[in-house]
Amino acid sequence: MQRDGSLPEGRSATFRSFVKEARGLRREAWGNPLGYLFIAPAIALYLLFNFWVLIRGFLMAFTNYRFLVPNSNWAWNGLRNYQLMLHDHFFGDSLIVSVKYVIMILPTMIVIALAVALLLYRAPRGAGFFRWLVYLPVILPISVSMLLWQQLYNSQYGYIDTMLRGFGYANPPDWLADTHTALASIAVASIWRSFGFSTLLFLVGLYGIARDLYEAASIDGAGGLQQLWHITLPLLRPTFALVLILQIGLLYGTQEVLLLTQGGPANSTETVGYYIYQVAFTEGDLRLGYAAAMSLVVGLVMAVFTLATLRFLRGEAA
Amino acid sequence: MVASQTPRGQTQATHYRSYYVRATIFYVPLVIVTLTILVPLVWMVSTSFKGRQEFYSATASLLPFHPTLVNYQYVLTQLGYLPIYLRNSFVVTVGAVAIVALLSSLAAYAFARMRFRGRDMIFLALVLSIFIPNVGGLMSLYELMSFLHLRNSLIGLILYFGSALPIPIFIMRQGFLAVPKELEESALVDGAGWLRVFWSISLPVAFNALVLVMILTFVGVWGDFLVTFILVDQDATMTISVGAQKALVMPYATSITPGFAGLFATEAGNAAVLLLASAPVVLVYLVLQRWFMAGLTEGALKF
Repeated sequence: MQRDGSLPEGRSATFRSFVKEARGLRREAWGNPLGYLFIAPAIALYLLFNFWVLIRGFLMAFTNYRFLVPNSNWAWNGLRNYQLMLHDHFFGDSLIVSVKYVIMILPTMIVIALAVALLLYRAPRGAGFFRWLVYLPVILPISVSMLLWQQLYNSQYGYIDTMLRGFGYANPPDWLADTHTALASIAVASIWRSFGFSTLLFLVGLYGIARDLYEAASIDGAGGLQQLWHITLPLLRPTFALVLILQIGLLYGTQEVLLLTQGGPANSTETVGYYIYQVAFTEGDLRLGYAAAMSLVVGLVMAVFTLATLRFLRGEAA
Repeated sequence: MVASQTPRGQTQATHYRSYYVRATIFYVPLVIVTLTILVPLVWMVSTSFKGRQEFYSATASLLPFHPTLVNYQYVLTQLGYLPIYLRNSFVVTVGAVAIVALLSSLAAYAFARMRFRGRDMIFLALVLSIFIPNVGGLMSLYELMSFLHLRNSLIGLILYFGSALPIPIFIMRQGFLAVPKELEESALVDGAGWLRVFWSISLPVAFNALVLVMILTFVGVWGDFLVTFILVDQDATMTISVGAQKALVMPYATSITPGFAGLFATEAGNAAVLLLASAPVVLVYLVLQRWFMAGLTEGALKF
């Protein structure tokens, strides 16, 4: 021991490595129980509010649980909900509306997002600013952006119709009140709000592609479009999958419809997500069981659709 | 415009021409995208500063020529619950951000640095759960919160939003894995406990990841609509993102309210409500954009 209490140089190193080794051994053998303590609060909160909610949501799909009927929480009814669904023409109609909505929103959103990402990737300058800008609508609260579009679509003082009148178009449509335009108007607002997120995903994918691939291709005389088709798009396949998986909530359109039209006019915007919401939280004795069953069916359809797309993307690669 | 800048060191006419062609191809679409994004937002900001006369005048300009605060005065004093909505949003958001920051960094530290049985399996399960669609989740959440008497409760909202942990844990773990191991080990050998190492060495080094987690949570919780809409139906515990809708569909007593008769238009009042509801997230996004973009593009979105 030296005067100041520290170990002499030579011994200190061996001593320390010995301590280190001993600790390491102890950890290998029995694990570090402190680790459980560190993850316990997070896991507890997660299990209660996410995991349980997930499991219970699945179980509820086989009950006739009505919120306003006491003690019906576990009223099992087997496959009765699914029989009911077959004869529920509101459900069928809402499925058709949803299919239309998905066809409007998904290809458009992906094309716009990819195009903007390609522009930002190759832009000579200012990419930082544009990247910031396209993500701005994504961070706005969904209620703000949808209510803002509701104001813009307003037929009397909305900015869109005011502009159209300014251009000499005397009778501009009442966007959200017309059965021909309402669903598309919701799709436009939803794309405006969310394409920035997909753009960012595509950008991350683009940054991940090795630059020398492009160099090699241009030496071989491949033009911009050829490079896009033979290099960029094939290598972006995982990103397409990621975009689809992370943006799937968009296809339900529940919140967008709730905020913009509440399903009207004449049920022309009643997507399946919104119908489920209505059955669960606004109609009759709040049939949570039946709503859970419907969302299980829709969830399965979505899962099959996603898996088929992933398959397709992978099949193209081979 | 940016496009008109000349490239350095290129003097030949052909180079100029190809540069301009290239710049046009890039910037014309980008300018269109910019306008599409900005015009609605500029409309919202400018309308919220327009008085009744200017709003109803035939020429709708995108700039207020006689800016006034009457709309803000009206919505903050006459829409009785608006300040309460805003306060609730702050309470819920700050609470949830604190919980997520603390719990996710503790758990992520254990997942990154400590050895215990089942560690990697638990982590994998958490990450995979991000991709499981939450089928029927709204319905079962409603049941759970009713059962716990946590509907119409700020605590309930804080706990629920605080439980959105898998993505924050994933991001924080990436941050901790980037901390040099030697730094921590030497501190451990010197007799510091795990908690001390976590708090005074690893967390400061993984600060960028923490900031990203906090921003993401802030934006997500402040902007949540559907869950809050379902769980809360009383003004006293409503947040602004849900309250904004209520405030907008409320018929304004434009002509009766003393002191405001004939001064403002309902639509301009609406714009003011929307601006108040989005200002905090936009501010956070503006101030912390450096961390945000770097964090997203360099780490968080690379699954």
